Amino acid sequence: MPHLSRREFGKLAGVAGLAFGVTPSFARSVFAAGAPDSAEIIAGKASGMLVHNAKLGVMETPLAMLRKYEHTPKEVLFNRLHFPHQGDAAWYATTAVPPKDMVKNWTIRVDGLVQRPRTLTIAELQARPQEKRVSVLQCAGNGRSFYAAKEKVAGGQWKNGGMGNVEWEGVPLRALLEDLKMSPSAAAQWLTAEGWDQPATPEGSDFAKSYELSDKGLDNAILALKMNGEPIPAVHGGPVRLIIPGFYGNMNVKMLTVLLFEAEQSPSAFQSVGYRMPNSPVEPGQFEANDYTLQNSVPTYGHKIKSVIFSPLPEDGAKSGPVEITGVAFNDGTVPITDVEVSADDGKRWEKADVKKPESPWAWYHWSAKAKLASGKNTLMCRATDALGRTQPIDGLTRWNPRGYEWNGVDHVEITA
Amino acid sequence: MRSASALLIVLALVLSPGMGSAAERFKLPEGPGRDLVYGHCQTCHDLQSVLDSAGIRRGAWDAVLDNMKDFGLRISADQRATILDYLGTHLGPNPPAAGGAEVAKTGPVDGAKVFEDTCIACHQADGKGSPGEFPPLAGNPDLFLAPDFPAVVALNGIEGPIKVNDQSFNKVMPPFDFLSDTEIAAVVKYVRSQWGNDAARPAGFGEVTPDDVATLRKKPMTAAKVHAYRESLKK
Repeated sequence: MPHLSRREFGKLAGVAGLAFGVTPSFARSVFAAGAPDSAEIIAGKASGMLVHNAKLGVMETPLAMLRKYEHTPKEVLFNRLHFPHQGDAAWYATTAVPPKDMVKNWTIRVDGLVQRPRTLTIAELQARPQEKRVSVLQCAGNGRSFYAAKEKVAGGQWKNGGMGNVEWEGVPLRALLEDLKMSPSAAAQWLTAEGWDQPATPEGSDFAKSYELSDKGLDNAILALKMNGEPIPAVHGGPVRLIIPGFYGNMNVKMLTVLLFEAEQSPSAFQSVGYRMPNSPVEPGQFEANDYTLQNSVPTYGHKIKSVIFSPLPEDGAKSGPVEITGVAFNDGTVPITDVEVSADDGKRWEKADVKKPESPWAWYHWSAKAKLASGKNTLMCRATDALGRTQPIDGLTRWNPRGYEWNGVDHVEITA
Repeated sequence: MRSASALLIVLALVLSPGMGSAAERFKLPEGPGRDLVYGHCQTCHDLQSVLDSAGIRRGAWDAVLDNMKDFGLRISADQRATILDYLGTHLGPNPPAAGGAEVAKTGPVDGAKVFEDTCIACHQADGKGSPGEFPPLAGNPDLFLAPDFPAVVALNGIEGPIKVNDQSFNKVMPPFDFLSDTEIAAVVKYVRSQWGNDAARPAGFGEVTPDDVATLRKKPMTAAKVHAYRESLKK
């Protein structure tokens, strides 16, 4: 598929991600064949979420649903599991809390290159001081479908709804590790987190994520016990989830059972091959999804700066004339977002939006701008910039990668007034 | 890192979503290798992942297969080549026109071949399965619970906790209803005759025919219902 001009790309993005690139007609029939609704797949989820994989409980939030809430409720928050929620893993296919007995017997083993391994219970975590972190939680694959304008990449074709603004509460990680007095070896350079979930076959790689112990992101990390003020729903990682505010979703390990001090990062395929970004730009056909190495790529750590238009959406039926364009913006939380610029005419003129102070460095910022819609087609765009001067690429396709992660191109919404 | 409790077994039944048969929900285009995709790819994810990726290059599918190996896909080199040809052609950038006639499956159906293409990934070449993951077929008394029972499982899958020769299992077998009536009858016959299973065959025990399978196919069950059917036969 030829590289599209920015204008053409805008048109494509405006159809809200549907049917990008080459989509043989039979692929669409899958949606007509009585595929289960989100509410049937995960008990307690809202009906009408956009399902990417029923067996793995993968679903995103339509923006019209997402924009209704300041803190994204469990009923509509996007979800991604790595292994089927079936058989003895069926307990986590619900927004209800994990079974009581399970929580009571839950342990987190803290081990590895330490003199004194420890085991923690949920009760022990509950007894410690708790802190809140409001943070955007976003799937690394959010926006993957937009890369199809250059070349489609395999996997769930996420639009913009693989994100939410969530209040977490739990035990600060660094203070906890200090207090455990484990005396890690000087050789320990990495912290690896693993969850309860297991692959569907004995040959499958287990899910694990590793962080450099020196990573400043860990300074804000908590072992979260609550999400939006109540115990974490099973499907979102209860009873305890490692939350590193500002980091992509996969780094926030659900159903935490193990923390390891290690000399190397985990050999898990989810760390060594999956959820990585190439160090330098790559082209389709030149660098494939199996070409990732620890040397030529890095894990998807902090959110790349991003902004998304919440209103008007194409389905709002906006009329020509004055309009208020609103949306959200966020980054990795290390520095503030300073500007959001908005264009209502396909990027010819840009206006600064009013940007509201966020609830926390990692929460999303609301912004709004006044504009005028012409009758006919209007291409709305937005672009955020932060205090380090980091901004969104006008052409997000420059960051094309064969796994389709970290989309943060300037958002385009096409409105016919 | 699991600490499973008995409670979970109950939950497994309560919380299973009601999903239709896989082949019905995810209709892959006809072509050689299609059944290998049905047979191997749904152990870990449903086929929406495959259909939503339709249109990617053969080289990209090749990489996907490598990645899937990391995530647990176990297929022979021949099977891999067939699957790659299938995906690269029928789910590639320029697929042949859809709506063509069904590929006629010619020649006699070989139960051993069906087993090798479809069942072996989980139940293993020696029929011993994998402890705690996939039940054995070798020495599995369920094969003779009722003449139709294994065919019902093959058509509809099964979900729920079971014990086979004192080993516990609680995974989900997806439906294999993409197999033809003849193929299902052949593979059931094959499995019942392998690994010494023949010795357990009750006297006068009838074999399931393709016509029987056709009749069973008209009465689809959920995987949980198949589990209940098994329980009723065990009584």
